Amino acid sequence: MSQPLGIDSVEASDAELVRRVRTGDIGAYSTLVARYRNRLGRYAVHMLGDREDAEEALQDSFVRAYRSLDRCDDPARFGAWLYGILVNRCRTSGARAARRRRMFVRDADALNGATHADQADRVEWSDTVNRALARLAPEYREAFLLKHVEDLEYDAMARLTGAGVSALKMRVKRAREQLQRFLKEAEHV
Amino acid sequence: MFDRDDELVDRVVRQLRQPVSIDPALDDRVMAEIAADPAPRATSRPRFSLRPWPWLAAAAVLGAIIIARPWTRGAENSGSNAFQFVLVAPQASSVALVGDFNDWDPARSPMRTAQGVWATTVPLAPGRYRYAFLVNGVEWRADPGAPDAHDDEFGTPSSVITVGGNGS
Repeated sequence: MSQPLGIDSVEASDAELVRRVRTGDIGAYSTLVARYRNRLGRYAVHMLGDREDAEEALQDSFVRAYRSLDRCDDPARFGAWLYGILVNRCRTSGARAARRRRMFVRDADALNGATHADQADRVEWSDTVNRALARLAPEYREAFLLKHVEDLEYDAMARLTGAGVSALKMRVKRAREQLQRFLKEAEHV
Repeated sequence: MFDRDDELVDRVVRQLRQPVSIDPALDDRVMAEIAADPAPRATSRPRFSLRPWPWLAAAAVLGAIIIARPWTRGAENSGSNAFQFVLVAPQASSVALVGDFNDWDPARSPMRTAQGVWATTVPLAPGRYRYAFLVNGVEWRADPGAPDAHDDEFGTPSSVITVGGNGS
């Protein structure tokens, strides 16, 4: 009883929340889930191209992370550690998803406040981007998203993916080239 | 040409950096899955009577679930273990744990919430206890994942937990 649960504190650090979870305060984990849901969700949605698959991967990653929390060596960097789990989970999920038709979810938030004509343009552009992204090989898409969308350094990407820095630079470069080509092709359709 | 190509990729990046909203209900699903099958930890779980884990998963979906779990440390008195009780009740504005162990006094074991997950921890010595949740100060809820306390003389829903190796 003397142990404070503190699960109502949304400003607790990751390290503090991980400490609480490790001492049995399950509720503290829900704060971590809420904190990282959208941040990691963006990567999963873009990587998998399907919101349902993304949410499944996300849920599975959160549960896996909880069950292996003892292996999180640096609780202050819980987010980076969790990210690694999600990246690996998306690889597994992506292999399955590739066998079926990809569906894309337009981001309603990004469309809010736009005029009708504006919206149509944005929707078209969003679809074009998603289609081009889907045409990239998974390892190119992964490298591109981690580098340019999630803004990671190559060293961090190497730790997450297990690939070498040189290989990752090559993948990003190829991803950029291919995206440009796919987008230009789309312009001429 | 080169500048235009880079500009094209920059536009793609700007598009992909737009925030993505994931359904907040995912939080409940994650917590329900965790509660239904808590992580195996280094600590061993003492024997007690909360047994039907599949029941817990079903109960969580319905918005009410409880688990009891010992802390690695936290026994305040010799012979007692601290148990955490968790109730998933996203719509509740207050929840208290009441039972034989706190004289059914809501003020003694208020539960705190994060994202609709209510939790509190109580030290329990070996023995058999009846308990319930008091939601919003008026609604009594039994634990859907634990045995009913059939000997409840108050006529309100309640559950039973047996702690230790010699109680059942």
